[in-house]
Amino acid sequence: MSALGNSVRGIVAVAACAVLIAAPFGLKPYGIYLLSMWAVMTIAAIGLNLTLGYAGQISLAQASFVGIGAYTAAILTTHGWPFAAAFFLAAALCLAVGWLLGYPALRVQHHYLAFVTLAFTTLVFLVLRNEEWLTKGIYGISNIPRPAVFGWSTQAPRDFYFFCLGVLAVVSFAMWRLVRSPWGRAFMALRENPMRASSLGVDTRRYTLMAFAIGSSLGGLAGALYAPLVQFIEPTAFALGLSLNLLLMVIVGGSGFFFGPFLGALVSVLLPEWLRFTEGFYLIIYAAMVMVLMVYCPAGLLGLAERLLKPAAEDRSVLTQSDKDPGA
Amino acid sequence: MSAVLEVSKLSKSFGGISAVDDVSFEVREGEILGIIGPNGSGKSTLFNCILGQLQPSSGEVRIDGRSIRGMRPCDLNRLGVSRTFQLLQVFPQLSVRENLILAGQEHQGSMWSRLLGPRDAGLTPAADRMIAFFRLAPVADEKAGGLSYGQQKLLDAAMAFMAGPRLVLLDEPAGGVNPTMLADLRERLRTINAEEKATFVVIEHNMEFVMSLCTRILVLAEGRIIAQGAPEAVRRNSKVIEAYFGN
Repeated sequence: MSALGNSVRGIVAVAACAVLIAAPFGLKPYGIYLLSMWAVMTIAAIGLNLTLGYAGQISLAQASFVGIGAYTAAILTTHGWPFAAAFFLAAALCLAVGWLLGYPALRVQHHYLAFVTLAFTTLVFLVLRNEEWLTKGIYGISNIPRPAVFGWSTQAPRDFYFFCLGVLAVVSFAMWRLVRSPWGRAFMALRENPMRASSLGVDTRRYTLMAFAIGSSLGGLAGALYAPLVQFIEPTAFALGLSLNLLLMVIVGGSGFFFGPFLGALVSVLLPEWLRFTEGFYLIIYAAMVMVLMVYCPAGLLGLAERLLKPAAEDRSVLTQSDKDPGA
Repeated sequence: MSAVLEVSKLSKSFGGISAVDDVSFEVREGEILGIIGPNGSGKSTLFNCILGQLQPSSGEVRIDGRSIRGMRPCDLNRLGVSRTFQLLQVFPQLSVRENLILAGQEHQGSMWSRLLGPRDAGLTPAADRMIAFFRLAPVADEKAGGLSYGQQKLLDAAMAFMAGPRLVLLDEPAGGVNPTMLADLRERLRTINAEEKATFVVIEHNMEFVMSLCTRILVLAEGRIIAQGAPEAVRRNSKVIEAYFGN
């Protein structure tokens, strides 16, 4: 990455952090709720970006993990468990289930894998709807408490938003480390050429399962925040629609770009609000924008940004070359 | 000298068609064995059986006396078996240096140390030595997908040597490489062979390249070994001439 690209990214990142911290002080509760939803969805999309964007394993099951996480947190906290226990159990459960869901990926790829994960989403939805003894079925679970973190009550919208933002910051830092570790390199190798990766000693089997497990556990974490955010959950929230929405966040933002999910989730959560004045036309406009983006820039919004920044960077390299060799 | 690679009574058939038929041979430590033969003679199938990418129908492959039955390519690679590919198989989105670090990282430490340890798994110096050795320094930070064909071919070879392999299988290393670069590649391979005591098995169609690089040649035709020996002897063998040119 060029120095110019890096400095642009640095400035954007600092500005974004400042906005995220200052924004809730100027927003009404509904605005804060939307920002919190953005943080939660970004966590889920970061997980899917690992599975899909870095490791190249398509998954339509991310909503199920958000669902499993949300129900784990909701059931446990409404039965008096401490939130911290529910939070980590949700992540651990999704890690285990995600690992198991990785096994089909060892046999099938691409759209076949999409179908396997789609079937899983349906399965989880049916369990959430029909196993009333556990999930209360279509009646859903209400009065989900918001946690107190080391004595700090997150009952108020702004406090809960900062809690979500804090979790997002920790998740982002961990993911930043992960994709820059040798594991990240192995995940990308898995995406680009599994056969070659295997011939270089990369245990493609283990890394595929890991990509699913880690990506899914972030879905679970997002769910464990989603439940206390909306305080009422019911099965339809975690059906295929959310899976497709999360997939769209990853693709629109820029699959395989670290900041892709942040941007994708922003578009997906805020655009419906900004387009509210168009009333019934929102979905049509959103769909048209996605189609245009995919035709002209399949690498998503950040792919587009990279393309716009690149010519400038190339000009600079030409300049430095001619500086070195005045005869040229 | 001991045998690094032993292939005994190896057969592989697809449906009713036998691609490799009762092939046995040994490669001793430090040898450079060339495998030649017309198209469809079973060279690539033989390679894939040795590398764990195909399961043989019968017979056995041993590396340093150890049977490789049931091993996956990544297990074999960690035993010290490395390969290059006939068609370009670098990671286009990773830089040249990243490609090389990837080629060595799974040989370092454990899963956990690779997660929590340094980003380059301590391999930057080794990668830079390999970059210098294969003269890839001017493109070290470029994405591999942007390199010329010949440079990608060199990178592919460099990746095979990153982990200090004991046995390297080279699948048509000369294919599509220009003559100057080819002479260069041959020198690099000879140097590694001499200095690292790495053992090579080379599949090649470029006769001049294979005859000048290899210490011993094995000729396959229709899945069987029809001749083997020193390059000069093989070149004059009437069965070999017949296999290539017909009667």
